[in-house]
Amino acid sequence: MGGFIDLYTEADTFLHRMDPRVKIVAVLLLSLLAFILSHLYLLLALLTFIFLLLFLARATISRTAFALKFVLRFMVLIIILWPIFDPTGTPVLASLGPIKITEPAVWRGVTSAARVGCLATVWYILMFTTSQRDLVRALVKMGVRFDFGLTLAISLRFLPTFGALIDSIKDAQRARGLELSKGGLLKRSKNYVAVLVPTIVSALRTADTLSLALQSRAYGARADRTYLRDLNMRPSDYVALAVLAAILVLPAFAKFVMQVDI
Amino acid sequence: MSAQGSNWGNSGAAGKPANYVSPKIVAVYGVLTALTAAITYASYTPFSPTKGYFNLGDSMVFFSALAFGWRAGAICGGIGSAAADILLGSGIYAPITLVAKGAEGLVAGVIGRMKGGKAWAVALGIGAGGACMITTYFLGEWLLLDVGLGKAIAEIPINIAQVVLGGTIGALLSYYVKKSYPSLTKT
Repeated sequence: MGGFIDLYTEADTFLHRMDPRVKIVAVLLLSLLAFILSHLYLLLALLTFIFLLLFLARATISRTAFALKFVLRFMVLIIILWPIFDPTGTPVLASLGPIKITEPAVWRGVTSAARVGCLATVWYILMFTTSQRDLVRALVKMGVRFDFGLTLAISLRFLPTFGALIDSIKDAQRARGLELSKGGLLKRSKNYVAVLVPTIVSALRTADTLSLALQSRAYGARADRTYLRDLNMRPSDYVALAVLAAILVLPAFAKFVMQVDI
Repeated sequence: MSAQGSNWGNSGAAGKPANYVSPKIVAVYGVLTALTAAITYASYTPFSPTKGYFNLGDSMVFFSALAFGWRAGAICGGIGSAAADILLGSGIYAPITLVAKGAEGLVAGVIGRMKGGKAWAVALGIGAGGACMITTYFLGEWLLLDVGLGKAIAEIPINIAQVVLGGTIGALLSYYVKKSYPSLTKT
């Protein structure tokens, strides 16, 4: 499977040390900002800011390429397809039958692609710098029910396990002569059932054992459960939160209260 | 459990057993979520650059919904598929996926299990759930992500193919797993 990736990379940057709750809020605020800004150069500035943060988080080139691999194709498609379906505005650059390509439509396509780029990459600031454990802990601290957080933690824990399980079942079935990489959509999906059935049965058996393990560790015995490690906001976290709030509030204020076109 | 709680607690209120869902449900939902993400990831097949990609994640969403009910469909389908999106590098879709696949699992679970899961109910549930998923993706891409009508329409045929194939496989899987291992699917 090319290695089931945990997106988190160990490092000691200010983004790694930051409270995960602040980082979750940061991702949400920056995403909102991408929707507020409507000018291409401002969106490009935001995109640069996001890349600066990724760089400061010591994301390697290959990691950043991974974050961009999918979205680049997506952005190119938007830039190509947008003008074809949006015939409004002048001047007309080219026309072919009912299809008109106008200059404002081209710019709108590029702007939209830049916004999509921001929304797609901002996630990875959080994912690259926060371990799964901290992520779940932050969600529970933010008010998600503990049992729900535990379910999430279990599923993240078992993802690589099942990835490896699927790989070995695939190998076992291939050794029996199953073709998985040949044929059309239908044939390939049909062959995949031979992988799905053993995987599901084995996974459900795992769930059975897991529920016994949970019970034996007195899951749900007391409502006031304690934690080995707790999250605490440090002064620098409050500073980061204030800076982020300013980054969002100032443009929002300018746009909606002062009616500046940004 | 309650006797244990009163023995351990110092004050009466603090020693109450927690009002959590049963460990069996936590284990099964956690495993199904991981399984949905893992199968979406493992069966991910990109075609030529313009035709998009295909995966069998929908079969797991329908399987969870039909075998374990609408709650499992909504939670495991939504979160598992969103996690797979982030792992596959298309994190931009994750919020829309969470809603789209969650709704798909929820609707398929509610309708597909009517009358004890008769064949017509299952087919109707998959159709209605799939329609929810396709509509959410279309509206999400068009209005929320603002990718343009063209790109949003281009996704519809791929999504329909995913629902048809995923629905067929998911329904068959849930039927046979329920039949062969009735103890596993009782939660």
